[in-house]
Amino acid sequence: MVMGRREFLSCAAGALAVAVPNRRCASHSAAAVVLLDLAEHCSLRESMAGYALASAGLASHRPVVIVPAAVAIPPAAMHQITECLRAGGTVLLESGAGFAGESRFRAHRDAVQNGLQLRIERPRRKSRDIPYIDYVWPYATKIRDFSRVVPLPAQPGEIIARADGHPVALTRRVERGTLIYLGSPLGPALWAGDAEARQWLARLFSL
Amino acid sequence: MKKSIGDNMIPKEWGFERGLELVRRAGFDGIELWLGDVPWFQMTTTDAQVRELRRKVESAGLVVSNVSTGLHWATPLSARDPGVRAQAARIVERQIETAGLLGTDAILVVAGLVTEEVPYNEVYQRCVDALKPLGEKAARAGVKLGCENCNSEHRFLISPREFWQFLNDVNSPAVGIHLDVGNIHDTGFAEQWIEIHGPRITRIHLKDVLKHRGRSGDQSVYTNLFLGDNNWPAIRAAMTKVGYDGWLIAEMEARYRYARDQQFFDTAQAMDRLISGKL
Repeated sequence: MVMGRREFLSCAAGALAVAVPNRRCASHSAAAVVLLDLAEHCSLRESMAGYALASAGLASHRPVVIVPAAVAIPPAAMHQITECLRAGGTVLLESGAGFAGESRFRAHRDAVQNGLQLRIERPRRKSRDIPYIDYVWPYATKIRDFSRVVPLPAQPGEIIARADGHPVALTRRVERGTLIYLGSPLGPALWAGDAEARQWLARLFSL
Repeated sequence: MKKSIGDNMIPKEWGFERGLELVRRAGFDGIELWLGDVPWFQMTTTDAQVRELRRKVESAGLVVSNVSTGLHWATPLSARDPGVRAQAARIVERQIETAGLLGTDAILVVAGLVTEEVPYNEVYQRCVDALKPLGEKAARAGVKLGCENCNSEHRFLISPREFWQFLNDVNSPAVGIHLDVGNIHDTGFAEQWIEIHGPRITRIHLKDVLKHRGRSGDQSVYTNLFLGDNNWPAIRAAMTKVGYDGWLIAEMEARYRYARDQQFFDTAQAMDRLISGKL
């Protein structure tokens, strides 16, 4: 199966097993960037659109899987994520739990806990005093927040962004790859044309 | 041109029928119905009840000029929460549906709300994205969707050229501007908005505005026609220039402390003077 530089994979229930062979990331060319569309488990469609828009034309030296506004993560999608990490790729997992409601938050929390050993806290409303998320990696910048954040308790990994002083994003080595978890959605800012958000993504791809 | 006034001006304790009688006696041709802002016309009002509203309007010798709503202030199309946006779209859809039931071809929508929390670029893009499908629905129903210029209140589309570009981006013949000549405050001049938007104007809201006062908190800058700083001869001339011959709808604040019905008569007479051009 020939893979393009950017791919959009729908992970609606049951579809992935048919549409995407196992070990897909391992068979990618070095520059493959995959957007995983979780369909009804993607809580912010504009986030999906934002990553699609912003990643167009960007190249990466390693396989990249982007999961926009994730709530529940179906097994097929989780398999895709873990395979990419095993293959030495980068997974950018963006939480969409902020506006998702209690039951969908629990589904998200359980998915990242069980599948990636990532612990998260209940979404909370961000203070309005300073409407930015402070990123320190891959470089220091301020990017518009998205009203609610999913805070991260202390755990293995490097904190890469804070909101109101609380950790909301981290990066962690997993197998040969790199997992990046964003507790504050970046996609809507990409979709709205936010320059800092686009620069942040471009810098991530250049690593 | 025909004269209309909002049913949200009717004192709530009067009820709809008595209000209609007042509107007719004051000399108006039609009435603007505000979905969600008056007890008799809510999102829960059934189709049958809406038809009954129409029957009452026509029995009073009036017609419905358009369907407006203030619901989008609390439930904007530009909200970050997809659930709120879905409800906002449903409000517009109900406006379109009820416009058909009420026999009118225009609705008013407050397109977006820029806040400290939801920044301008997001609001712009969300509103464009929301109005494209809603414009298609409106077109299928034979209804014009007029986005109101709420300038200072929604901190969005502040200039007429920006509003023009916004409508270009929505790119739907069914989506235009419901122009409020009182909402422009100190950011411009109503007559220039009329000139620029011309055939895209779906309806015109009338009220006067006290310029150079700013707007702070609940302190209103709005007043009755000819008591403020709008240049009414220029506004009337601009209507003629662009060939506007549609509804003029009074959107006053109900500020008469006594003899509240008098505001309806005063407003209707002022509108007659404006239409006649004898200013």
